[in-house]
Amino acid sequence: MSIVEVENLSLNYQSIKDETSAINNVNFKIEQQEFVSIVGPSGCGKTTILSLIAGLIKPTTGKVVVANKKPSPKENLCGYMFQRDNLLPWRNIEKNIFLGLEIKKQLTKEKKEYAIKLAEKYGIKDFLKKYPNELSGGMRQRVALIRTLALKPELLLLDEPFSALDYQTRLNLCDDIFNIIKGENKTAILVTHDIQEAISMSDKIIVLTKRPAEIKSVHNLDFDKTLTPFERRNSSKAKKLFSTIWQEIQDEKSKI
Amino acid sequence: MKNQKFSKAHYDYLKKHRTIKALVLITQIAMLVVFLLGWELLSKHEIISSFFFSSPSRIAKTIGELYKSGELFYHTKITLNETLIGFAIATGVGFLVAYVLWYSNFLRRVSEPYLVVLNSLPKIALGPIIIIWFGAGDKAIIFMCILIVIIVTILNTLNSFTSCDNQLISLGRSLGASKNQIFFKLVLPHSLKDIISTLKVNVGLSFIGSIMGEMLVSKAGLGYLLTYGKQVANMHLVMTATVILCVLAALMYFAVALFEKIMKKHLK
Repeated sequence: MSIVEVENLSLNYQSIKDETSAINNVNFKIEQQEFVSIVGPSGCGKTTILSLIAGLIKPTTGKVVVANKKPSPKENLCGYMFQRDNLLPWRNIEKNIFLGLEIKKQLTKEKKEYAIKLAEKYGIKDFLKKYPNELSGGMRQRVALIRTLALKPELLLLDEPFSALDYQTRLNLCDDIFNIIKGENKTAILVTHDIQEAISMSDKIIVLTKRPAEIKSVHNLDFDKTLTPFERRNSSKAKKLFSTIWQEIQDEKSKI
Repeated sequence: MKNQKFSKAHYDYLKKHRTIKALVLITQIAMLVVFLLGWELLSKHEIISSFFFSSPSRIAKTIGELYKSGELFYHTKITLNETLIGFAIATGVGFLVAYVLWYSNFLRRVSEPYLVVLNSLPKIALGPIIIIWFGAGDKAIIFMCILIVIIVTILNTLNSFTSCDNQLISLGRSLGASKNQIFFKLVLPHSLKDIISTLKVNVGLSFIGSIMGEMLVSKAGLGYLLTYGKQVANMHLVMTATVILCVLAALMYFAVALFEKIMKKHLK
């Protein structure tokens, strides 16, 4: 049973002057605990697809099903992680982690303990009483992930979560986040413009055409499960795949 | 971290820091003393006219006289009352309206031209209308005060509310927050700094409102003392009322500053 089913998904943006087709007839399925990346030329509608899956915007035609339900932010189906950590500077780390629970009015002892346990497990224990401005960028993004996981979402939606970080932090955090997601047996969709990043983390990569986005190709990756994202990056298999996907996106860009 | 030994450089730094702080305070006090002393001496020797400029000693004397006759607290209390009531109502209602306009895009768009026009209208021009409507009493004065404060409050606060980071709102939405939750958990704390600076501005504006009202209505209060002093050509009284106003304004500013400190502590 697939956890995410996207069927004939299309979206048109409306404005006074014009109607633009952003996404055109996209179909895919994602299995439980799969890690899927979506790449494509910039501005092709990658983030829009995530917003549709999260139920933040409604499709023009077609449908999205997550865990047999119609996605809505009211339910704990999807956890969304943004480019920026969006930690609230006036709350300490612990209170930031509890934000989702607070909004959903699920601030029970049991759920709080679960969130704290996650924080402890992934190295944030010593920072719980600190404020976001006292943490490094990588650490902050890790807190943002814990905040998302505290709600036990069925599916994680990662919208370029590493792009605001410096290169060194990015590679480290990539490994960390990958471990956390695999350790918690979560299904995840990653949107990124970084092909290497997609290759280093995913089981499957979906390449989109330029706007209006359609699926150009799907690559199934069969790396050794014991490899870390960092080790994957340096394998010859990754390099070969990189040039294939690079060429696909390049072809799209040169299309008129 | 506590009881830690610091290097000599750190103690030097602290010493320098304290020296500068003391120097600022000394200069501030010295300036005031020189100003008052100069004023007193120049006026005493009639280098400047003591009739037009009064003098610190005459102001002190006038304050003493007003205190004896009970007028000092009578007029101060009236002005302070009007100012505080006007400040409280205008700030409270202003915030409420700003919240409603933040909540409803429709209402915001509808009210925009009205707010802009009301903001640029010189409120004192409404003086005659207000007096006819409310009578020549403290009601008219408080209403004048509210009119001056409320529009600025609405515009400043609304501007701060709507400038909240879009990504923050998306975060709230992705967590399934209702619009009210987004307001109270994200937008309001985000705007706290602006709200406090609005309060500071409002203190000054409330005084403008109440003094202006008193000058129009002229029955009691510090604004009345100013007008009365002018009419009987008693500059000592005019200067005295001005000095009392300075003191009141300073006190209210400190009250807001204290509130700011408490809020910051509360948030941390």
